[in-house]
Amino acid sequence: MTSARTTLLWPVSLALLGASMLAGVFWGTAAIGWADRWAILTGDADAPRSLSLIVWQWRLPRVLAVALIGAGLSLAGALMQTALRNPLADPYLMGLSSGASAAAVAMIIWAPAWIVAALGVPAAAFLGACAAFAITLGLSVRPGRMLSPLVVILAGVAVSLMFQSLTAFFLYLGDPQATRAALGWLMGTAAGTGWGDLPVPLVATAVVAAGALWRAGDLDMLLLGDERAAALGLRVAPLRLAIFAGAALLTGLSVALAGIVGFVGLIVPHMARLLTGARHRRLLPLAMLLGAVVLVCVDLLCRTLLAPEELPLGVLLALFAAPPFIFILRRVRDVL
Amino acid sequence: MSSEPLLRIRDLQVEAGGLPRVHGVSLDVGEGCFHGLLGPNGAGKTTVLRVLYRAARARAGTIALAGRPMRDWTPRDWARATGALVQESGLLSGLSVRDVVEIGLARSGLPPEACAARIDEALALVGLAERQDQDASTLSGGEQQRTHMAQLLARDPALYILDEPTNHLDLHYQLVLLDEVKRRGRTVLATFHDLAMAARYCDSVTVMADGRSVASGAPGATLTPELLRRVYSVEAQLDGALLRLDGPVRRDPR
Repeated sequence: MTSARTTLLWPVSLALLGASMLAGVFWGTAAIGWADRWAILTGDADAPRSLSLIVWQWRLPRVLAVALIGAGLSLAGALMQTALRNPLADPYLMGLSSGASAAAVAMIIWAPAWIVAALGVPAAAFLGACAAFAITLGLSVRPGRMLSPLVVILAGVAVSLMFQSLTAFFLYLGDPQATRAALGWLMGTAAGTGWGDLPVPLVATAVVAAGALWRAGDLDMLLLGDERAAALGLRVAPLRLAIFAGAALLTGLSVALAGIVGFVGLIVPHMARLLTGARHRRLLPLAMLLGAVVLVCVDLLCRTLLAPEELPLGVLLALFAAPPFIFILRRVRDVL
Repeated sequence: MSSEPLLRIRDLQVEAGGLPRVHGVSLDVGEGCFHGLLGPNGAGKTTVLRVLYRAARARAGTIALAGRPMRDWTPRDWARATGALVQESGLLSGLSVRDVVEIGLARSGLPPEACAARIDEALALVGLAERQDQDASTLSGGEQQRTHMAQLLARDPALYILDEPTNHLDLHYQLVLLDEVKRRGRTVLATFHDLAMAARYCDSVTVMADGRSVASGAPGATLTPELLRRVYSVEAQLDGALLRLDGPVRRDPR
C-alpha cells in the first residue's frame, strides 16, 4: 500500500462523513435556502422558526441515528467476520436482524404498555438477536470444529426465514392498531427519530468500539485461526463470546432504532479491508466511518428521490449492495 | 544435558471428539534437545502437541515446563515460553506476510524496534523478505508454511513445538529452516512422517502407536527394522539418516 494512500485515507474519510452529514441535514422534503441553512446551523436569531425546528428536531437526530446505525452495523459485521473467520458473516445474513425484529414486533403487539416503557423495544430486540445468533450457531457448529462458512450462512438464512415468518404470524394475530404501528416500524426507516432515542445506542456503540479497539491485537490473532491464537496465549472462547454479545447488542439497538437494515455489515467491512488491510486497529475505525457515510447518503436518497414520499432504507440498500455482494462472493470463493 | 528436563510429560491422556485418543504418553525433553514424536497416522502425535500449545485439554496426566506444572502457568506466560507451528489451513485475506509475523510478536513485550529487526531477520531467513507486503492468503501452501515458520523464528521461544514442520516445504526450505532451528540450540518437540528427516535432526525420538508411546531413545537405536515393521507396517532399514524402503508389510488378505 502506498504511503500517500494511507495518509490520505483518514482525512478523506472524515471529510466524507462531515460532508454527508451536512448534506443530510441541508436537503430533504422541505427546501431551505443557503442563507437560511447557515443561519439555522449557527443558531442565528433571524433564522425561520419552522425550518429551524425541522433541522434541529427532525433532520439532525435522524442523520445522527443513521450514522450511528451505519457505524454500529459495520462494526458488528467486521467483528463477526473475524470471530467466525467467515468473510460472509453479517448481522443480516446470519439472522440476527430478523430475530431482533421478531422480538421487537412481539413486544409492540403484545406486551402491556408499562412493560414496553420499562424494558423498551431495544432490550427485546437485543434478546431476539441473541436468540437468533444462538440458533444459527447451534445449527452450524459441531463440537470442536466449525462447519464450512457457506453452511453457517445457509443456517443463518434458514433462521432468518423462520423469524420472518414468525414476524408475519405475529402481525397476523395482532389487533389492527398495534399491527399498523409495528408495520410502519418494520419497513426500516429512521423517520421520527428524536434526540431521546440516541443516548442508548450512542453509548453502546462507543463501549463496543472502545472494547474492540482495546483488544485489537487479540482480534488480529483470531484471524490466524483458533489453534494459532491459542498457541499465542489467547483465550479464544471468552473473546468470541464477548464479540457475539457485542454484535448482538449493536444489531438489536439498530433494529430497534430503524428496523432491519441489511448488507451494511457485510459490504462495508470488505470495502474497509480493501483500503487498509485486516489489522483491527485500522480496520474497525475505518469500517465505522465508512458505514456511517454510506448509511447517511442512502438515507438522504431515500428521503429525496421520491419526495415527499419516503423509500424504506432497505429498498435502496439492497439495490446498491447487490453488485459489491457478487464481487465479495467472487473474492471469497477460495475460502468456501 | 541437565538432569531436570525442560519438558516433562507423564502419563498424558487426552480425548478428542469424545473418543480417547492418547492414553498414557510419557516423555522427557532435555534443554537444548531436538526430540522427535513419530508414529503412523492416527497415533495421537498431533493430539499430544495440541495439549502443549493449549488448543486441547488433557484428561489426565501431568505436563511440566522448566519444572513448573502447566496449570501454574498463565496462558500468556506459557505462550511466551513456547511457540507452535500448527497444522491449520487457510488464512483470511487482508493480512500481509509481514502482518502475520508481526501479530505473533504482539504479546512479546519487546520494544517496536527490536520487533521490527526480528521480523526482518525472520523474513529474510524464510526467503520472503521481498514479498512481505503481499497478501498472505494468495501464497502457496509452502509459502504460507514459511510465513508461519518466520513468525515462530521471530518469537524464538524456549520450546519449539513443531507439527509436521516439513509439510508443504520443498527440500531446500526443509533443510534451511530445520538447520536454523537446530543452530539456535533451542528445545524442540517435533512430529515427523519423514523418518530420514527425523533421523537427521532428532537427538532422541518417541514412537507412538494407538495413543501410546511404544519406544523411545536415540533414532538409530530406536527405529529398528523390527519396530518399523510392527508400528509402520513397512519393511525398511534406517542407516544413519538414510532410509532404505523395501515395501509395505503384506497384510492378511482376510
